[in-house]
Amino acid sequence: MESNASQDELIIQQHREIEREISDTIKLIGEKENLSTLKNEYINDPVYQKKILDLCNKYENIRRTRPDGNCFFRAFGFAYLEHLLDKKDQYERFRELAEKSKDQLIALRFPKFTLEDFHDVFMEVVNAVGEGGEERMSELYRMFNEQGYSDYVVVYLRLIASAHLQEKAEFYQNFIEGNRTVIDFCHQEVEPMYKESDHIHIIALSSALDVGIRVRYMDRGDGSEVIAHDFPEGTAPRVHLLYRPGHYDILYEKNPSS
Amino acid sequence: MALRFSKSKHNTKVILDGERWERRLQKELMSLIKEPPPGVVVDSDQGENLSLWTIKMRGAEGTLYEGENFTLQFKFSPKYPFDSPEVTFIGPNIPVHPHVYSNGHICLSILTDDWSPALSVQTVCLSIVSMLSSCKEKKRPPDNSFYVKTCNKNPKKTKWWYHDDTV
Repeated sequence: MESNASQDELIIQQHREIEREISDTIKLIGEKENLSTLKNEYINDPVYQKKILDLCNKYENIRRTRPDGNCFFRAFGFAYLEHLLDKKDQYERFRELAEKSKDQLIALRFPKFTLEDFHDVFMEVVNAVGEGGEERMSELYRMFNEQGYSDYVVVYLRLIASAHLQEKAEFYQNFIEGNRTVIDFCHQEVEPMYKESDHIHIIALSSALDVGIRVRYMDRGDGSEVIAHDFPEGTAPRVHLLYRPGHYDILYEKNPSS
Repeated sequence: MALRFSKSKHNTKVILDGERWERRLQKELMSLIKEPPPGVVVDSDQGENLSLWTIKMRGAEGTLYEGENFTLQFKFSPKYPFDSPEVTFIGPNIPVHPHVYSNGHICLSILTDDWSPALSVQTVCLSIVSMLSSCKEKKRPPDNSFYVKTCNKNPKKTKWWYHDDTV
């Protein structure tokens, strides 16, 4: 009989191997690809083929992200900063908001000295988008593929989402299942790395930063259309994401509105 | 140190991560020395090895552990703070507590599943102090003898079940 402990080790070892395989083969943020590449993934799948066709009418490109549980935060961070590259006004507004967010988080009793590290690196990445010329795009791409920047950005966005949920705890309590408080939920599902994101994470982050996100849900549901959800409801989307069960990638519209 | 002068992208990254790692741990150490949680004493001289700390903890007054002294060991992997620290009680006196095994392993969710890089040595110490202080009855976990016989030396290699957070 296998003892519990060695079973634990086997399970953990297996998880590690899967993680390593994923990190060896899939970049944190991939190159822009033509959306039609999706078709090859679902060649014998009529339901998905129909939905991809629908998606191809609206979108031109896809950028894949590494499925490590942080994909929503990383995809959003990259896509929004990329969107801001040529939008000076929106960029300035966001930079100011990002700068100020630190004090807001400290007021919510996030430990100051750990917070500062994440805020500093986050601002370094935000500033890289505002300064410099031609090479800003490649710099953004490089930073998001370097764990030493990319993961700091993910942590900071997680903290911003958590802060928003805590500030509006009374409201968000209604959406939390089980007996957990909003603070418990933040500690267990929002702040730790690698924890997957649900509607509530998306609502929190998009509301906190006042940035519209449109998520296209591609699943086995009926119909041939890929349903869109806008967060926060009624806000013009700046970032488009494709959701397939358990994972978010970035989408690029055919005729982007600004 | 020769690495520092290397031009390759890969090595720059290693240095960057290494510097951030060291700066963060130095900062944590200073803050812990300046504002230690109640009953916690940390020696400013943690030796050359920044990845291994020992921290003294005194049982709080008015609790079941009053008058007892404990020693905690923190190990930090190169991936800290994205990976949680490995935290165990060491030395002759391991607190008798429903979440502390006699080999010093601690069953505490922020040490594995619920760890966040925004937490710190300080918050971990605080959680352990409060875990001890709220204890109503000194006893070992029910599966202590089996666990201690079969577990890995590293508590992070255990898949913990956090079923009871009332003690």
